[in-house]
Amino acid sequence: MNEQLKAILEVLIFISQEPLTLNKIKEVLGEVPEEELDSALQALQQDYADSRRGIQIIQSAGGYLFATKPEHDQWVRRFLQIEKKSKLSSAALETLSIIAYHQPITQAEISAIRGVDSTYSLKTLLQKKLIKIVGRKKAPGNPLIYRTTERFLQYFGLNSLDDLPKEEEIAKILEEEKQILS
Amino acid sequence: MNQEIQDYQVQSEITPASAEEGYQVKLEIFEGPLDLLLFLIRKKKIDIHDIPIAIITRDYLEYLEKKNQINLDREAEFLFIAALLIYIKSQMLLPREQEASQEDDPRKILVDRLEEYQKIKVACTLLREKEEIQLQCWSRTFQPPIANSNDLDLLEVDLFDLAENFFLIMKRKEKENFKVIKGKDVSVEEKLKEIVDYLEKNGSMDFLEYFSSRETLEEALVSFFCLLELIKNRMVIAVQEQLFQTIRVWLRKDHQPHQHHGQSHE
Repeated sequence: MNEQLKAILEVLIFISQEPLTLNKIKEVLGEVPEEELDSALQALQQDYADSRRGIQIIQSAGGYLFATKPEHDQWVRRFLQIEKKSKLSSAALETLSIIAYHQPITQAEISAIRGVDSTYSLKTLLQKKLIKIVGRKKAPGNPLIYRTTERFLQYFGLNSLDDLPKEEEIAKILEEEKQILS
Repeated sequence: MNQEIQDYQVQSEITPASAEEGYQVKLEIFEGPLDLLLFLIRKKKIDIHDIPIAIITRDYLEYLEKKNQINLDREAEFLFIAALLIYIKSQMLLPREQEASQEDDPRKILVDRLEEYQKIKVACTLLREKEEIQLQCWSRTFQPPIANSNDLDLLEVDLFDLAENFFLIMKRKEKENFKVIKGKDVSVEEKLKEIVDYLEKNGSMDFLEYFSSRETLEEALVSFFCLLELIKNRMVIAVQEQLFQTIRVWLRKDHQPHQHHGQSHE
């Protein structure tokens, strides 16, 4: 294992203002074989995950960054004097999931799936910058089209949209629920 | 200042369930008519592909009647599904010449919707778990000090942010209700020069402050147009340090001084 490379990567992640992407790493380091980079990054992540450290390296929105481990949450909050971070409302989360899976999507299409009007949820999500308007649909009324943002990925700790819970995973859970019911 | 902290404060301001939640508040656990329907179907341990429409419709209507407080907006959505249920039942009662294939089943339209909705519900549960973990992971998302921000890593604001702020100020101005005795003509060109001169002298300006100190609505409007023009010409840059904070306007380092004065803005 290339220990020096590992140390350099650690430094870059530490100093980076935003999730450190592979592209940025390559830009800084120049010629380093991809496999070597991958294994060094993995080893580094493993180091933090294994040891009794409070910090971990997570992959979020396409890059690497330092974050505290969830089990130390209460200490951070005590330090920052924050009670608890509030979660999204169920209505907002429902709307957001629909956008995530069906994007690009219009408000009418979202409401059709939910069976309820989604104006307020959309407003909340836009304000939180979890979704964005990407244009208008060429359809009657030219409705606005929505997509999720990078911030959405970060908010849920997803690396990319491919990390969303898969169709099979969802089908499996539904199957299990059915068995429990019958 | 930590970004996460900001987010927290902002969230707690926005979250209260209001407006849209009209009916949900009363039905508490149900997000909407489909949610209620799914609940009734599960309670009866019914296969979603073979729903006894009559029974479910009765349960559904019973539930609605119990909740007799009416919120018209929400009511319509719940009644729409009730109407759909009754429509389906009527379709099923019609005599057919031959046994209906699965494709022709009048219930299909409802089943498809329920299935899709069910999937979303599960996805929500999974995302909720991720959210919970993520809310407990804190990252160091600080911003660089503004003093040496020539490289502009800050959050650049988009047109919507600018416009939103502008209307906020205009609303405030409206309330002031000044009587203007003699209108002063404000030309775009003069204003442009004034803004650039101001920026050259002071380095940056506070968007909110600048506009609220304009004397008249007209002057503020003209200033806003000038600002948009300057941003478009890449003379200045509008930067928001953090979400929901004020917007600061900076002169771009690479702009050519006074070159803009030659351009005409009618």
